[in-house]
Amino acid sequence: MTIVDSLIALTAVIGTLIVAFVVSVWLPGVERKFIHARIQQRIGPPISSPGLMSPIKFFFKEIINPNSPMPRLYNSIPLIGIIITIFLLIIIMPQLYPLAAFASIIALVGLLKVEEILYMFMGALSKSVLSLKMPFPDVVKGAKHPDVPRSFVEELSAMRAFRLIAFGSFPIYIAIFVPVAMASSIFLSDIVSYQQVHGPVLFSLSGILGAIVFFIGFMILLNEYPFSILKTKADVIEGPLLEYASKYRAYVYISRGLLIFVLSSIFCTLFLGIPPNLLSWTILVNILMAFIFTILMAVVSAFSPIFTFKQFYPVVAGVSVLGILAIIASFL
Amino acid sequence: MDEDNKITIGNSKNQIIETEVPMGTVHSAAIEPYRIRLFVEDEIVKDAEITIGVNHRGVERIMEGLPVEKANSLTEKICGICSNIHLWNSVLVAEKALEIEVPERAQYIRIIVAELERLQSHLLYLAHGNEVLGHETFSMRLFYIRETVSDLLCMIGGNRVQYGVPVIGGLRPRAELDQMRIQKLNEGMDLLEEKISNFAQRFVSDPMIMSRITGVGTLRKEDALKLATSGPTLRATGVEVDLRRDMKEYDPFEFEVITQDGGDVKSNLLVRVLESLESVKIIRQAANHLPEGNITNRSWDMQDAPITKSYVEAPRGKLYHSYALEDGRVRHSIVRTPSIANIGAMQYACIGCHITDAQLAVVQCDPCFTCTDRAIQIIRL
Amino acid sequence: MSLKSYSRARAVHVMLVYTGGCNGCDIEIVNCIFSPKYDAEQYKIFLTWNPREADVLVVTGPVTAHNEKPLKAIYDAIPEPKAVIAAGACALMGGVYKNIHGDIPSEEICGPVDKIIPVDAKVPGCAVRPQDVLAGAVAALPKLLNAD
Repeated sequence: MTIVDSLIALTAVIGTLIVAFVVSVWLPGVERKFIHARIQQRIGPPISSPGLMSPIKFFFKEIINPNSPMPRLYNSIPLIGIIITIFLLIIIMPQLYPLAAFASIIALVGLLKVEEILYMFMGALSKSVLSLKMPFPDVVKGAKHPDVPRSFVEELSAMRAFRLIAFGSFPIYIAIFVPVAMASSIFLSDIVSYQQVHGPVLFSLSGILGAIVFFIGFMILLNEYPFSILKTKADVIEGPLLEYASKYRAYVYISRGLLIFVLSSIFCTLFLGIPPNLLSWTILVNILMAFIFTILMAVVSAFSPIFTFKQFYPVVAGVSVLGILAIIASFL
Repeated sequence: MDEDNKITIGNSKNQIIETEVPMGTVHSAAIEPYRIRLFVEDEIVKDAEITIGVNHRGVERIMEGLPVEKANSLTEKICGICSNIHLWNSVLVAEKALEIEVPERAQYIRIIVAELERLQSHLLYLAHGNEVLGHETFSMRLFYIRETVSDLLCMIGGNRVQYGVPVIGGLRPRAELDQMRIQKLNEGMDLLEEKISNFAQRFVSDPMIMSRITGVGTLRKEDALKLATSGPTLRATGVEVDLRRDMKEYDPFEFEVITQDGGDVKSNLLVRVLESLESVKIIRQAANHLPEGNITNRSWDMQDAPITKSYVEAPRGKLYHSYALEDGRVRHSIVRTPSIANIGAMQYACIGCHITDAQLAVVQCDPCFTCTDRAIQIIRL
Repeated sequence: MSLKSYSRARAVHVMLVYTGGCNGCDIEIVNCIFSPKYDAEQYKIFLTWNPREADVLVVTGPVTAHNEKPLKAIYDAIPEPKAVIAAGACALMGGVYKNIHGDIPSEEICGPVDKIIPVDAKVPGCAVRPQDVLAGAVAALPKLLNAD
């Protein structure tokens, strides 16, 4: 590979990142304005407000010390989240395929796992004013169980995050392994080239099942509404994110949009054989898929209440079984 | 507490409590300030403690010594959701004490306003319930339906929240219903009936919602009776009690007392939906058979009266007001609202729920913490 | 308009703290945000329940004794720049509850709100109308926009 080639590759990677970033800031606006507001029969916010203007606004707010035993670590977690998301995007780009070990499903799964674990840290480190710290005389004479250890609502979120790591992320990993089973390789380059020869995985029975499973897993990973037990308004308010203020909250906002884009790009790579690549017209398919995923997700979330574990376990179990069926079907 | 008087659900002594999760006083699920301490083991609520009294302002205390007309209008400020029923009941107490006859037309219009208020209160409850369920879309649709009722109340009383229609002896002159208003009322009722029944259809056919609310926060019939709950919360456990059956003002109207078995969140929500449709029925009857005549009886004299009591059926249950009058002023006043018993009962209903359902289990009784925080005195009988 | 002011005007996060009024203002404020008829989101006003996210604090009620400290705690948790809207007669001057004991200082009521935290915009009404709440939010905006 000559220097010119590597320079072009580098430009393509950086260009793709910029495109991903530019697209991702509009996704929350699309979700809120075009889907939620339409379904709820109202006008809704301007499309730029939720995803673009809110983070910019938070950048201009006062930087405060969060109520946390380790404020620096707590504040750095969203940034780590963004970096991991960017890594995820980089490893699925075709320019990185020569680095075979990186551009494999194993790296993908590992990075997604880290993304999930971050929520546990956030939950454990956040000590918001909204539950235990609220200055209210409740442990007084005559109160029930005065000696019980007391905890913050965010600790509930941390425990839930732990459970989600244990079982909630099954669907997305099973779905990722459907194309692996079809292409019989864990390397992304093989999966992509298999699809260029045999047509996209999506247009087969196991591909369709896998896509459904992937979508559910995508919503669980993003904590979107039926599956947002980590940050439901009914008990934990915002859960792990409660203490983020100013620019750290802006990172939280940005990372969500970016994660939508990256996960939909992963879907394109694995199920359509179209990795995000600025040098090809197929980047448009990636962008389109990001919008399609956002819209589908918004429609599902607008029509569903929050799930507790009673609903969560059967849904995850059922979807996982569907995913296993998809893998079995891919061998037939 | 005696052995036979013990609540059958809830805590035994030897149970494991892992941790306590306090919520409130500012919380997204219950917008009103109150503190709830949930004692959980593995996210299942084992015991709960609700602290009320955060909202205590002492309205009865302000009422003492005021002229009775002024005191009446103060009762309206006890609660913004059921303001009219407080006003109506305090006016009823005064009328009972002073032996005033109220014209029949005024009774009918009072009932129209009371039922409109029940409608808006129930719709608000359903919207809030859906908000706590996490279903923003349904919540917004219900708020949109509720706007129709708010507009009608604004038309009759002149304000969207505190309309203040009854006065001693009848009604405020503004609340007179002419032909145009009755027509608007009827149109509004048609719209509401259609929208509420459409919503109910959609609501009960949603499997996700049904899975969330069925069997959650169950309060058994015996416990509900022992804990002295009233109103829709009691009717949701299968007890057919409605104070409107005993009130002479409601005698001319046909309506059914809605009951559900179960006592869980689903029964509570459905009782309110079906009761809203009954309210629509009552309003139609009252608006279409409105008697002719005067709306205010002005021929009464102030006199001293001993303690006089009155019970009415508020949107949330049994509401009690009492007055003692002296020189045209209130010497004594006690207000007891239904929510105080209902909220206390919910402390037991949320035991055994998942922690996400716990707030829902509290919200199922339509808690109104502003109503609740009265000066109370426990009298052992 | 600089990017700072522009972005602040395009995303206003509102938090509601309710300190013991009669619920009337509360319903109307929730109404103005949740009801599709008023839909505050079309004016770029978003509801949040987290003080760390909020820009504008809407306070209703006369601030009862138990609510004083929580209100202060919530106010302190909001990062600058922030604005406070006192909504309703009780929040402005104590409403009908102010005069509980005549000249003797009241034990129940610590309000009105501006005794406890600085108030930037006042919305009168008993109960406030949703339109007025939106107008109040607009009146509080210059403070947000012109802050550094």
